[in-house]
Amino acid sequence: MMLLEVKNLKVSVDGAEILKGVDLSVNEGEVHVLMGPNGAGKSTLVNTIMGHPQYKVEEGSILFGGKDITRLPTNERAKAGLFLSFQSPEEVPGITLENFLRTSRVALTGKPVRLFAYQRELRQKMAELGMDEEYASRYLNVGFSGGEKKKSEILQMLMLNPKLAILDETDSGLDVDAVKIVSRGVEKFRNRKNSLLIITHNTKILEYLPVDRVHVLMDGKIVRTGGSSLIDEINESGFQPLAESKAV
Amino acid sequence: MDLNFQHTNVLPARTWNRLGINDTALAEELPPAAPYTGPGPAGELPEGVAAFSGPLPAGEPETGMGHEEADFVAEHRNCGVSLKVAAGVHAKTPVFLTYRVDENSPFVVDENAVVAEEGSDVTVVVSYLGGARRGFHAGLTRLYAAKGASVRLIQVQLLGDGCLGMDNIGAAAGEGGTIHVIQAELGGRKALAGCKARLEGLRSRLSLDAIYFGDRSRSIDINYVAQHVGRKTRSDIRVSGALLDESEKTFRGTIDFVRGAKQAVGKESEFNLLFSPKVRNRTAPLILCAEEDVDGQHAASTGKIDENRLFYLMTRGLSELEAKKLIIKAQFRPVTDQIPDEKLRNAVAEYVEKRLNRL
Amino acid sequence: MEKKKTMVQDIDRTIYDIKDAVHPAYQVGQGLTPEIVNEISAAKNDPEWMRLFRLKSLRTYNRLPMPTWGPPLDGLNMDEIVTYIRPNTPMRGNWAQVPEDIKNTFVRLGIPEAERKSLAGVGAQYDSEVVYHNVREEVRRQGVIYTDMESALRDPVYGPMVKKHFMKLVPPEDHKFVALHGAVWSGGSFVYVPPHVHVKIPLQSYFRLNAPGAGQFEHTLIIVSEGSSVHFIEGCSAPKYNVANLHAGCVELYVGKNAHLRYSTIENWSKNMYNLNTKRALVEEGGTIEWVSGSFGSHVSYLYPMSILKGEHSRMEFTGITFAGKGQSLDTGAKVVHAAPHTYSSINTKSISKDGGNCVYRSSVEILPQAYGCKSAVNCESLMLDDRSRSDTIPVMDIRNDDVDVGHEAKIGRISDDAVFYLMSRGISEEDAKAMIVTGFAEPIAKELPVEYAVEMNNLIKLEMEGAIG
Repeated sequence: MMLLEVKNLKVSVDGAEILKGVDLSVNEGEVHVLMGPNGAGKSTLVNTIMGHPQYKVEEGSILFGGKDITRLPTNERAKAGLFLSFQSPEEVPGITLENFLRTSRVALTGKPVRLFAYQRELRQKMAELGMDEEYASRYLNVGFSGGEKKKSEILQMLMLNPKLAILDETDSGLDVDAVKIVSRGVEKFRNRKNSLLIITHNTKILEYLPVDRVHVLMDGKIVRTGGSSLIDEINESGFQPLAESKAV
Repeated sequence: MDLNFQHTNVLPARTWNRLGINDTALAEELPPAAPYTGPGPAGELPEGVAAFSGPLPAGEPETGMGHEEADFVAEHRNCGVSLKVAAGVHAKTPVFLTYRVDENSPFVVDENAVVAEEGSDVTVVVSYLGGARRGFHAGLTRLYAAKGASVRLIQVQLLGDGCLGMDNIGAAAGEGGTIHVIQAELGGRKALAGCKARLEGLRSRLSLDAIYFGDRSRSIDINYVAQHVGRKTRSDIRVSGALLDESEKTFRGTIDFVRGAKQAVGKESEFNLLFSPKVRNRTAPLILCAEEDVDGQHAASTGKIDENRLFYLMTRGLSELEAKKLIIKAQFRPVTDQIPDEKLRNAVAEYVEKRLNRL
Repeated sequence: MEKKKTMVQDIDRTIYDIKDAVHPAYQVGQGLTPEIVNEISAAKNDPEWMRLFRLKSLRTYNRLPMPTWGPPLDGLNMDEIVTYIRPNTPMRGNWAQVPEDIKNTFVRLGIPEAERKSLAGVGAQYDSEVVYHNVREEVRRQGVIYTDMESALRDPVYGPMVKKHFMKLVPPEDHKFVALHGAVWSGGSFVYVPPHVHVKIPLQSYFRLNAPGAGQFEHTLIIVSEGSSVHFIEGCSAPKYNVANLHAGCVELYVGKNAHLRYSTIENWSKNMYNLNTKRALVEEGGTIEWVSGSFGSHVSYLYPMSILKGEHSRMEFTGITFAGKGQSLDTGAKVVHAAPHTYSSINTKSISKDGGNCVYRSSVEILPQAYGCKSAVNCESLMLDDRSRSDTIPVMDIRNDDVDVGHEAKIGRISDDAVFYLMSRGISEEDAKAMIVTGFAEPIAKELPVEYAVEMNNLIKLEMEGAIG
């Protein structure tokens, strides 16, 4: 069943056209990878899927679970089952990580949350991610190191259990051990038949995941789609050959 | 002649009178007014830059020091230059102006203007030199940057200890215009400086760097205002300086976001190094805001040289005096490096070096 | 919580652009006479020295001019105020005349029925008197005196102590409204903590709300002796409605050697009030004063708690939040004077403006020549919720010694789109996201307050936010 369908998406930011007609679809239970050189428009694509107000959809549409979400407000998209792990997560002072996640869960499920069960689950998942318990009572992302911020995003993903999790460069800035831990966390999520769309440069995170499809975005368009072997191809020869083939 | 200013360098929003910072009063006996006999513009003007007379486009901008100084200059001026840069011209060389306040000419009142027409850019470097025993300098410079144009004004004040000096600037910028000002207030027994820029045009910008140096019983009094009127305007004000002996400095810096200046960004930073327990450092960094969609920030830091830094330099062989001198000069470098004339840069460095020897 | 609209009815007054250089001089009528002052003094059974003090203050009041900086006070009718000062005029109004929105806010904040009338100044005291009595008993065992000012003045033991300190820290000459206070003050608390006593329960002035002259011109005098500590809480978050619309209180705090005083205030006067309060603390060697301040109410507020760091190693910490909504001009901040070496001050404020409200953060940090080895850090942040409001930051630093470390940071902006987007991406609605961000913004203050106050403060913020978004 098709979960996410992006059709001929054209997006501009501040008057400049970034995405020039992107087509992409992700089925249930699949792991997709999005690659491309810096400035290709990867973050633009995922932020648009999530509904960031600064990105203007000029043409095209986004469907999720068969429903057109192109004009839906961001929180409605989250309720539909979308999740974005940000490249640079916002620091929000005054709200603890624990309280925030609880509020979010209530918002997404529409049901009250039983405090003790929730706290137990939170502590357990934090332990799995190698996050110190005290981060739960710290203000959301405030003063967290780069690595801890990324873990905080993955923690949220595990606690909120979306249908499709989009990971924007989750592995960048993490040391070798942290990448392993985060990958395992992502893998755990993936086992529940949820879908993933992963943006990554260094692909270390992919060593632990079975990849169904790889998309290469260059200059605002998808220039190549292929299987996981495409990753090795790019790791060896870079993006240049794809650019040249595009030109041809 | 007597000088009598009641309200100069006025703070755009009043505060407790007791603090004495709402404005500055000045009552001084001046040397008699006389024609100016010192030098003026050096060499030929670069191509595309010419003298002009007449009013400024978009009217007379308000100045940092205010009406009293501007009126005084208009009435008593005895020198000055008004330059216009033709549209599209990128002046190949800077314009150099030097005014000397010395025994032959202890009364110098200059009124200047620099207008950069659409798409042009020019740099004007003005130095105020001279050591008259009872010297007086009052300057007024109006700047206008038209659409996409850029005006860079570098003012270096190195007057002698017997001089009273005032450097007043009023600027305005049209769409995409940039006003770039550097003020180095290093001399005089009393130095006043003001700059007010009205950022009217969409995306217009102000960049204002000031360095000051106070020693003996020098006093420095500054008033800067960045007024954001147009959308997406930007201002950066950076003030840095050192106070020694019994000197004192008063700095007023205001970022003013007028309603409608959406997405404007205003930043102000101040760094003050103090070297004696008898100095006085007064600061009023204001942010006035009537518009929601803006980003305004101010940061100020005042105190002695960081002990760790001093120690680090000394472990590399410098004496305490050498280390302190190095640090102050390093503080000034980012600003003085922008002076496009080696001789003037060296003059500033030498001046500071000489004065620092008393540390 | 139900989501009803908050519509606070404001008295129709224009808010002038407070950036105008000088307001024209405003003359106050001679409504207040020595006869009235004598009446007040007699009704209170003042000792003779106090009667003379009041008369002298009256002369000072008539002499001093109105302030020319800050929000305009033209709407203050002094003659009207005078009639409420007369001792025989009941301070209580009529429940029927209390504005609807005040009554609604009581409901929304869950204030019990009996309390509402007390807060509205229309009823007899509810059982706050009993609670107050019980608190007094408990702290008395520690040797702490917590009583009303009038009683303290007449007490054979404490009378002389009061006389020694009364309006010495804030003398009537300071400004016009302090002089007014000196002439007509009434009610307030006197707290004396003997040496080396740590008062565990916070003392709350809330209990004393209904003395005649209720809360309008109350005088608070707190003396914390060497090595002692106490937490005093003034005000409450429920709107205090008063028929007369001027509040000119005075707070004098003496913090002894190595003593610790925390003074918390949540001020939510109804939105017709002119709140011109003067608060000052004098801190001895090794002592600490902590101010926690939440300003939500009043039509116009002038409020700048001032601390004088007199002894070496003394400290001041100020945490405050100001929320100005429609029709409000709240001019608040803090002042500190470092008058001794190795002193420390920290000022941390947040302000929020919406719906045409004006917030001004105004401060002064002075370091005197004899104060070396000092440190001061000021951090003020302002949040604008729309483009109809104003937020001005007017800080001043006057530093007269080089051996200092003074830092200052100010920021102003709006609720970050990115932060809203981030919260929304986790399923939270736009409205809730904004309320969360504003509440989060106010967190540093909320966490300094006792829990009930923090909860009430957050409720207050939510109410204010609903008004904004609804």
